[in-house]
Amino acid sequence: MDNFAYFRPGSLSEAIDQASAEGRDILAGGTTMVDLMKLDVQRPDGLVDITGLPELEGYEIGADRLRFGALARMAEVGDDADLAAACPALTESLWKAASPQLRHAARLGGNVLQRTRCPYFRDTAYVQCNKREPGSGCAALDGGVTSLHAILGGSEACVAMYPGDWAQALIAFDAEVKTQGPGGTRTIPIADLHLRPGDTPEIETILEKGEIITAIEIPVIGAMRASHYLKARDRESYAFANVSAAVGLEMEGDTVSDARIGLGGVASVPWRASAAEDVLRGKTFSEDLAREAGRVAFAEATPLEHSAYKIPLGADVVAGALMTAHARAKGEN
Amino acid sequence: MAQTINTEVTRTDAPRKVTGAAHYAADFTPAGMLHGALVTSRIAVGTLTGIDISKAEAEPGVVAVFTHETLPDYKTVKGFYAGGPGSASFWPMEGTEIKYAGQPVAYVVAETAAAARRGAQLVEPTYEEGEANIAMDPSDSFIVGAGEDSKGMTVTKGDVSAGLSEAAQSVDVEYVTPFQHHNPMEMFAATAEWRGDRLTVWMPSQSVRTLRHGISRAYGLPETSVRVVSPFVGGAFGSKAGITPYTMLTIAAAKAVGAPVRLIVTRPQMYTVATFRPESVQKFRIGADASGKLTAFEHIEIAQTSQFDEVVNPGTHMTRAMYASPNIHTEQRLSRSDTNTGGFMRAPNEMQTFFGLESAMDELALKLAMDPVELRRVNDAQTHPVAEVPFSSRSLMECYDAAAASFGWADRNPEVGGMTDGDWLVGYGCATATYPTNISPSAARVRMQGTGHAFIELAAHDVGTGSYTIFAQIAAARLGLPVSACDVVMGEAHLPLAPISGGSTTAASAGSAVHLACLNLAAQVAREVSQMSDGPLSGVDPERITLEDGVLRGPDGQSQPLLEALAATPRGEATAEGEYRHPALTDQALKLTYQGGYGVAGPVTPEMAMFAFGAEFAEVRIHRWTHEIRVPRLHGAFAAGTWLNRKTAHSQLMGGMVWGIGSALHEVTEIDHARARFLNANIAEYLVPVNADVREVRVEMLEEQDDYVNPLGVKGIGELGIVGTAAAIGNAIHHATGKRLRKLPLRMSDLV
Ligand SMILES: Cc1cc2nc3c(=O)[nH]c(=O)nc-3n(C[C@H](O)[C@H](O)[C@H](O)COP(=O)(O)OP(=O)(O)OC[C@H]3O[C@@H](n4cnc5c(N)ncnc54)[C@H](O)[C@@H]3O)c2cc1C
Ligand code: SF4
Repeated sequence: MDNFAYFRPGSLSEAIDQASAEGRDILAGGTTMVDLMKLDVQRPDGLVDITGLPELEGYEIGADRLRFGALARMAEVGDDADLAAACPALTESLWKAASPQLRHAARLGGNVLQRTRCPYFRDTAYVQCNKREPGSGCAALDGGVTSLHAILGGSEACVAMYPGDWAQALIAFDAEVKTQGPGGTRTIPIADLHLRPGDTPEIETILEKGEIITAIEIPVIGAMRASHYLKARDRESYAFANVSAAVGLEMEGDTVSDARIGLGGVASVPWRASAAEDVLRGKTFSEDLAREAGRVAFAEATPLEHSAYKIPLGADVVAGALMTAHARAKGEN
Repeated sequence: MAQTINTEVTRTDAPRKVTGAAHYAADFTPAGMLHGALVTSRIAVGTLTGIDISKAEAEPGVVAVFTHETLPDYKTVKGFYAGGPGSASFWPMEGTEIKYAGQPVAYVVAETAAAARRGAQLVEPTYEEGEANIAMDPSDSFIVGAGEDSKGMTVTKGDVSAGLSEAAQSVDVEYVTPFQHHNPMEMFAATAEWRGDRLTVWMPSQSVRTLRHGISRAYGLPETSVRVVSPFVGGAFGSKAGITPYTMLTIAAAKAVGAPVRLIVTRPQMYTVATFRPESVQKFRIGADASGKLTAFEHIEIAQTSQFDEVVNPGTHMTRAMYASPNIHTEQRLSRSDTNTGGFMRAPNEMQTFFGLESAMDELALKLAMDPVELRRVNDAQTHPVAEVPFSSRSLMECYDAAAASFGWADRNPEVGGMTDGDWLVGYGCATATYPTNISPSAARVRMQGTGHAFIELAAHDVGTGSYTIFAQIAAARLGLPVSACDVVMGEAHLPLAPISGGSTTAASAGSAVHLACLNLAAQVAREVSQMSDGPLSGVDPERITLEDGVLRGPDGQSQPLLEALAATPRGEATAEGEYRHPALTDQALKLTYQGGYGVAGPVTPEMAMFAFGAEFAEVRIHRWTHEIRVPRLHGAFAAGTWLNRKTAHSQLMGGMVWGIGSALHEVTEIDHARARFLNANIAEYLVPVNADVREVRVEMLEEQDDYVNPLGVKGIGELGIVGTAAAIGNAIHHATGKRLRKLPLRMSDLV
């Protein structure tokens, strides 16, 4: 780890000023940031610790709108009974993430910006990694192990997978990210926040230098109540998803009036499976239909050498999540 | 005096451990100590063409940067598999040759640990990179020791081909197991302090005597000049047994800088600077007649080894002891690849080989349409199938019957895929567990005081297993004292001989020495009191005084508690040593042990075969949508002679089974073939079971008497529990899904 300067701003505008300087990074819970600094993958000159800014704390579960301060902790929000009733998928995506210790330390703003677990990115002993050293190549694609990589949204330069859980549920329900930066405030649809790797995998979001996420907001919709986050992983807890699905259904009788599907563990960015949603909308729900939606969700997937299993697994996970959401819509689960 | 053996006794060291009063090796900080850090190689095979240390040397706090050219007085020892105490035969930093990824290439010493690590990052080695293969090619293997002394590495009895052609059913199957790493919680660490010619090394160790012997030989010092201290060990599992380069480098660095140096190896470096469980292929051909009786048994094990050692942990020695068969062939083969040398990891061959054997037996039972338990029963061998000597005790089927009853095996619907519960497919499976009984020579010293206290001293180790407690229990039982009055001192090389804490040897071997030392102490006290002018034993022939539960008894009903007798003697205190040697132990093995090696009697002696046994039953559930594999129930029954402490023994067996879940479903050191590196060298990505993966684990401990193994009747149990678990789980997966997974770990990706 390099030596670095540590800033503790007294206000949001001071934080933006401090974080706008070259070589500086923002520090929230630090579970991604400090981890990568210890690995020498991130080497900031200075860290701007925003955890002392009360205006970024707290959250509200309103009737029309959910609002999460960027510094709300994964644990406190994950434990909230009103959220569990309003949108079980959001609660489950937090509960099934990381470990209790990490959930207590990690903040929701930092969470959506967590970085890939690609082992070649995280270990500087590998010379090739376009994300870490632009232009150096991609060790994963150059004969590496690709079981943890993206089968959707990758590029020839990088197939790193976005590993988080919460953002999959956010994208399914059209969350908005509120920011404040040197250029003022803006509202970014979560679907626009992350960038696919393309030729510049080192650029992961549209955020500008010094731009701070202040909150995440979600307008309440019908499909939230009958929602579910299903996460498939090799151990029961404390593991990233092999495949996950955040789904929500709104039913009119037996007909699906709205369907939402976010996919985790498979894509380079938080992923919305819009084509699969279209399979469901306006149709009579059945197990066959759920399976069809699962298949369509992965129709465009490009399997890598060690991740072909994710296509059939992903289809099943989407179908299974829809079955639970449907049961919830019927008041059965 | 209350009975102390075969009861539940809470660990005597527990309060010290949970309050932090127990000092582990890296907790000792000699005055003026500096900190070390390793720089390891990025490439796996090739040559170090240069190493620029200028930036590292300029880093504030860095005291010295050593390379292969600049570390004076760096000594090495012979590797274990070449008959020495070292973890490997090849020593890094002796030259420019690189033989495995993660090989140490430089050693930084600094004023703080942070500066040392920072300095290590600033060292810039350059390499000429060669071709490397990290994985073995099983088609390119050789028989261990072929030609000269094959030490039973191949065994043939009868004619396997003939036996297979007679068989009503047979299996010809191959199982694959991966590289695995121990990942003890306590990091590898070594602190070295020189005072003139005297050296002290603090290091978590499974064998302080091995360390002292090897280090003193390497430096040409008498053993009296080398002190090795390892009072507590935070998990070892085989990884802290041999002398590794990081220890010898630290000793040399401390000498070079003229100050004590401590090195704490980082977690990723722990994957390459010491040993691991090598990958393996297990091939079985087994035939049986229509009644299930085996007509042929063939097992060929191919295990990975490094380019410079032959790692021989012969698994076929165990599998061929299991089931009766007129025709047997086993072969122990190795295949080389570019890694450091592997070694022992909890049940170093039994985990892999019994995953294979017990899965193959399940496959055979299915072909025979037989209950898998009954297949084991009809083939249960009462004499060792190859050595043809009786088992000193063998309660395998008693274990099966007890575990089957506790598990509810009878309620199983034997049809594949026949059991479901909501979205879950349910399956049941079972497997045999076994572990050889290895008996080492061992010694102990007991000092008892008339105040009612005793010190028990021996160079054994508590690697987290409960040794402190069981030795106190044995002494308490013999001397008639409460367990809390018996203070056990261990983990220093100058104490009386005790074995390497490996091979589940310590309780049986060192425990017997403690027992004998107590008997010798009692005999000494008996002699003294018989010569005194008054007292209940005055004038009694001391040869006829015996010790029973802490009471000295004469031939004619005279008796006196040992403590009372001792208090009446002029010194009020007595000291005695006990040295235990199994009658079947050879002089060669005795000598080897005294020289820091691993000398044992067993498991097969000229008269008897000594093994502990168990049976494990698993229930698995596989989710219909996610294909996740979960193990809601695991029941095991075990028989291993006398239970010394029912609580710590239960924990050992349960811990073994829990690790078995990990071996079955989670653990694998992934490899990057292209760069010949271990890929997931950290405990976020190297999966082990978490609490939520471990549901009901039930352990039944059967009574078994065995007068042959040692005076206490104890067999080792530290490794028994993990053996067979993976097969029981794999067999249950097959029962649930009809899919036979033959490669560990068993993953959801195999089930879609
Ligand atoms: C071992 C381990 C296992 C994990 N398992 C899971 C898992 O199963 N599922 C899962 O979803 N996650 C998992 N995580 C990731 C974890 O959830 C994230 O590390 C965490 O949510 C990040 O939040 P933080 O507050 O610690 O962020 P930090 O580490 O402080 O910051 C993360 C990034 O966001 C930036 N940042 C933080 N806050 C802001 C802000 N308000 N505005 C702009 N930029 C900001 C930082 O500069 C940094 O780049 C795991 C992490 C670890 C270490
Ligand atoms: S996939 Fe992306 S992050 Fe991983 S090695 Fe390739 S470029 Fe780096």
